Amino acid sequence: MAPGAVTEAPAAGETSRRRPRSYEALTGYLFVGPAVVLFCVMGLYTVGYGFALSFATWNGFTPNWKWVGLDNYADLLWRSPVYAPRVRNAALNTLWVMISAPALTVAVSFPLAVLLNRVRRFQSVLRSVYFLPYVTSGVAVFFAWQYILQPDGAINALLGSVGLGSLQQPQGWLGNPSTALPTMIVVTVWGLVPVAMLLYLTGLQSIDRSVLEAAELDGAGWWRTNASVIWPLVRPITAVVTLLNLRESLQGFQTFLVMTNGGPGDHTNVLGLEAYRLAFLKQLAPTLGLASALGWILFAAALVLALINLRALRSRT
Amino acid sequence: MRIPFSRNVRLAVVAAATALSLTTLAACGSSSDSGGDSSSLEMWTFKQSHVGALRAAAAEFKKQTGISVKVEAYTPDDAYTTKVQSAAKTGDLPDVLEVHSDGEDRVFGAAGIAADISGDFKGDWAARIQQPVQQSGLVTEQRFKDSQPETAKDHGIENGARYSVPLTVGTFGIVYANKKMLAEAGITEPPADWQEFLDALKATTAKNPTTGGLALGLKVQATGLTWVLQPLAFSQLGQQGYEALFGQDQSADFGSPNGIKVLSLYDQLTPYWMPGAQSLTIDEADQAFAQGKAAFDVGGTFTLAFLKQNGMNPEDVITFALPSLKDGAVPDRALGPLALTGLSVTATSEQPDNAKKWMEFLSTPKVAAKFAKDASDVPATELGADSATVLGPALSAMVESFKGTPQNTYDPNRGNEFRAPGYEQDDAGAILADLSPLKQQSVEQTAKKLRELNASFWAAAQ
Repeated sequence: MAPGAVTEAPAAGETSRRRPRSYEALTGYLFVGPAVVLFCVMGLYTVGYGFALSFATWNGFTPNWKWVGLDNYADLLWRSPVYAPRVRNAALNTLWVMISAPALTVAVSFPLAVLLNRVRRFQSVLRSVYFLPYVTSGVAVFFAWQYILQPDGAINALLGSVGLGSLQQPQGWLGNPSTALPTMIVVTVWGLVPVAMLLYLTGLQSIDRSVLEAAELDGAGWWRTNASVIWPLVRPITAVVTLLNLRESLQGFQTFLVMTNGGPGDHTNVLGLEAYRLAFLKQLAPTLGLASALGWILFAAALVLALINLRALRSRT
Repeated sequence: MRIPFSRNVRLAVVAAATALSLTTLAACGSSSDSGGDSSSLEMWTFKQSHVGALRAAAAEFKKQTGISVKVEAYTPDDAYTTKVQSAAKTGDLPDVLEVHSDGEDRVFGAAGIAADISGDFKGDWAARIQQPVQQSGLVTEQRFKDSQPETAKDHGIENGARYSVPLTVGTFGIVYANKKMLAEAGITEPPADWQEFLDALKATTAKNPTTGGLALGLKVQATGLTWVLQPLAFSQLGQQGYEALFGQDQSADFGSPNGIKVLSLYDQLTPYWMPGAQSLTIDEADQAFAQGKAAFDVGGTFTLAFLKQNGMNPEDVITFALPSLKDGAVPDRALGPLALTGLSVTATSEQPDNAKKWMEFLSTPKVAAKFAKDASDVPATELGADSATVLGPALSAMVESFKGTPQNTYDPNRGNEFRAPGYEQDDAGAILADLSPLKQQSVEQTAKKLRELNASFWAAAQ
């Protein structure tokens, strides 16, 4: 075989390999292209539009915006005697949700996952049952919760029928300012537990059996194994669950909108709901800019939380 | 694993995906033509209870003119607003919009959504409308002046323009009572004054502790304030005293002895709210009343239609205006009628003349009377001597509550004249809810908070 032929043959092969590769890349780009274009138009445009709006006043109808610089942010945070106190009250309620909801979700979902992991029969059925709140969550379910929590609802009826009438809420669980926010937190947790439980379950199933056997050989009982071996091993999952739930508690508001609309009075008003009110429930007042500014404040808070969480994850894992 | 697609198949898929996405984008950017052909109109409303009546009128209109009208409802109110907002952006507005009178119509006018129809609303058409609401939809000198600050919702309206014509009239503060429950408690006549009203509530709640109370959708924060406290304050203090509650003079505002007096009166209702009233929307409260969960329900003239929709027979209901105080400044207070909803022609309508023809058709006495019957609502058209027959006993009793003199009539239209610019009634309503029904604050604490809130609006306005 001539040397030239030897050198030429691989070159021809490379070209033929390169061609499909570049062709594949082009195909890939073409597949991704529409999504990128859509993101640029629907995503970047709306984000940019919303950010610009946070520096203006507008009611959604008039042809022009009025630029006000940082006034919207100042009004919400401290300056306006009308908006700042409402935002402070909503921030306090949001803080309660942010502390309670993630903590309760972890407290419920981890033990639930541990128990589910031990069950040998009907595990998939039980997993589906516990996942049900996630797939059924939505406006209809929140309405159902409302009926359950009414003065003549199922919870009061149940309490009455088991001789715990003194615990009944004559005004309903959402009608009493002392029970409204805790009840909303419980409903929120009910919606958050399924995903958290699944994440924990995935974590538990990936733990090396030998680690657990070693703990067993060392004399660790069920409680000790869970507390000192499994719990530290699933800490990254706890961090993820906490972060997801913190974000949901900070920005989510649809449950509150449907079930209480911030009431009774203003006792369950949260920041997300306040932003929604400023945007859509102000009888066409030019407060869309304020709503947008509050949205960006929430975004900044979520970003800080994410960075803290990232830091915590890095140092622990 | 690679799936062995042929090059042609892959190319076809890519082309299809690209074409589909471009189609989507194109759909986002384009505006469809809502106008249809020249003999069909489109109308949107936010009142589900009006749909049937409007469609019946549309059928008659088509018979007479050959022009068809497609009526669509979008509820609740905030969804309707958002729908109009987005349709205005994409050029998909209908020809005619039903609007909340004297507010929303002007906002739409300022935004260029509603057309100025001042040149058309005259002669027979204008004369058919009830005199007290004839100026509804019109930009008067005062309204134009109020719109001048850049923060005004209707900044940009033109002096003398008309952005809507009234369709329905009514008022708030109408009490509905369940005849049967009242009879069981030994009550056969509607209460004549505030004290009798409280006595009636006491009797019905004594008879039925859980179902004998008063329903009101207090989840909507301003209802307690605007439907009960304000007409009550007017009756107790008279117009001047009532309006001063919202002013800057601390000797007459909510923190003053007058304010304390009014809040104490409102607090008298606390034992009688139906359980959980604070968690109910207006519709839910009306539904609860229709289901027999409350003996009384506070609403407006428009509530009757909703009760009927929910299976309540108007014959089983007694209606009366929220009673006044016998020893108050205005013991015989009337509730002023206001235009509740109006009709606007959109600025983008391709058939404005047909749209106006349809609006004028709706105002004719015969059509308005049929509309009143079908929708159980009070039309803006003057029905004359036949009014009582057309409206039926329940609606007629409500219309009776409109009849008063300028001195003794509580006019819910007034507000800008004495409240701080930017005043938010929901914020005041939330404070009031803490007094009654929530019992979280005393009368004095509530008075102090309302004073502070008013002061904050006045301060913000400066």
